[in-house]
Amino acid sequence: MKATRDFFGDYLLKLAKNNPKIVVVNCDLGEATRTLAFKDIYPERYIQAGIAEANAISISAGLAKEGLIPFVTSFGHFLTGKFLEIFQSIGLNNSNVVMVGTHAGLAIGKDGPTQMGLRDIALMRTLPNVRIYHPINPEQVAESLDEIVKVDGPKYLRLNRQPQEFFKLDNSINFGHGDLIFKGKDILVISQGAPTVEAYHAIKSLNYESKIGLLCISSMPINNDSYASIVSQYNKLLIVEDHFEIGGIADLVSRLISEKNINIEFNTINVSDYGQSGDPKDLYSRYNLDQKSIEKKLKKLLNE
Amino acid sequence: MKTNNLEKDINQLKYLTCKMCLIAQSGHPSSSLSCSEIIGSLYLKLMDLDSDKFILSKGHASPSLYSALMMIDKIPKDLINNLRNIDSPLQGHPDVTRLKDVNVTTGALGQGLSFAIGLAIGKKIKKEKGNIFCLIGDGEMQEGQIWEALMFAGNNDLPNLITFLDFNKGQSDGKVEQIMNISPIDKKLEAFGWEVKEIDGHSLSEIENTVKEKLSKKDGKPLFIISNTKKGYVSPNLTILDGNHGASINDEIMNKVIEELEISKR
Repeated sequence: MKATRDFFGDYLLKLAKNNPKIVVVNCDLGEATRTLAFKDIYPERYIQAGIAEANAISISAGLAKEGLIPFVTSFGHFLTGKFLEIFQSIGLNNSNVVMVGTHAGLAIGKDGPTQMGLRDIALMRTLPNVRIYHPINPEQVAESLDEIVKVDGPKYLRLNRQPQEFFKLDNSINFGHGDLIFKGKDILVISQGAPTVEAYHAIKSLNYESKIGLLCISSMPINNDSYASIVSQYNKLLIVEDHFEIGGIADLVSRLISEKNINIEFNTINVSDYGQSGDPKDLYSRYNLDQKSIEKKLKKLLNE
Repeated sequence: MKTNNLEKDINQLKYLTCKMCLIAQSGHPSSSLSCSEIIGSLYLKLMDLDSDKFILSKGHASPSLYSALMMIDKIPKDLINNLRNIDSPLQGHPDVTRLKDVNVTTGALGQGLSFAIGLAIGKKIKKEKGNIFCLIGDGEMQEGQIWEALMFAGNNDLPNLITFLDFNKGQSDGKVEQIMNISPIDKKLEAFGWEVKEIDGHSLSEIENTVKEKLSKKDGKPLFIISNTKKGYVSPNLTILDGNHGASINDEIMNKVIEELEISKR
């Protein structure tokens, strides 16, 4: 089974074939971020920065200034940890740099909290010109990358390490407007990235497609009007995110319902501590992000 | 504009720098003056303004960069009234989103050299000609990212990268050697794979000869120029603000500068 980081590595090769502007800036994580094949085929466009993310970030901004499209890749935690460098060299330079943060969330697993990207979305959301992409299946990875090379400005692509049972969607990504996977009626689950797949299988296995909506935030910033028109149709919300409870999509949606005066019950599943080591499946279970925990939560919200 | 009289034009550049700092009553004039000859020589004489780029990593010397941009008519001279003012393109530190001619946003120290490396690699990938000049501060060398960048450049083939160190020996809390000594710089840089030269950073001929010698070669290592300078240097006879990093200029000092630089009052 593959993960979204694998689809990224594969599709980047396809894009690079017809787009000589694409370059990769790697921080000694070529295998982990799935850019080694790129190195083999396009060595002249592959820059090894070593374990020096700050330097890699500012070098990428320089490359972008020369009209290239640099993909600077590392674990999301290591990359966004260099916040001051991203703020200045990429953000306040309005650089056309693609920051690729893999190993999102708890699911890095046994390596533990020092490697775990649980605050990356929060950090990136504070930079007003950074677009965030978090695809959930191979098609969305391809669509996101097509969009990323088209749109000018700073971008953060969040990718997962863990293989999942992916499913096909009827529609392509509606960037900024939200992707409604199930319409439902009583409860709306809003999710992002890997937990969306868990929530999908939870709703399916309970045969709840007619009762529960599932909305995926594949890209940010969001269009408040579009989201409000969806969210206002339900009585209860359940936000599921593999991210710290502050600064992620729970905060995003809570602000939306405040600003739009939407009266709706607000529930969340997310991470409220620093995270810890463990098998990714065990961690998802421990933090209630796995299919079974989501099923339990949905039954409770439906009073069943 | 290519200068007919570099010394006179750099005097004018220093005048603009001091004047805008006087009007703003802030703006790191002493750190701007220590690199006036370097920035002036590059913009007014040595750079090919079409293909070369200058990166001011020590962003607090922005008044000197803004003055050079005024001298080459990239920005209007009346902006000297607008340094550090609200909605001004002349932000306290260079902000490329408000003034594209500064090439890069800097201010938080340590990042500009990496950016310059990105430009140099970009030229290489695109097989374009052009030299990248970068100016870093001595206090800035205490930033870890500078050493990441120095290590990277020394390990990669970047003959078109020339870095000036504005070695004015001062930083916010006092003398560099007392706060966190960076010497011996030459030995460190050579060990990191750079070609190193040491010059008087206020000598126009030494700046020019060192740059021209490097540009005449087509390959080799990146060049690091240790430029010995003085904070607040106006002329051999006049240094202002007593090495103070944050001090601003008053009318009395401004009059001395005008007199020393033989700028006619306006």
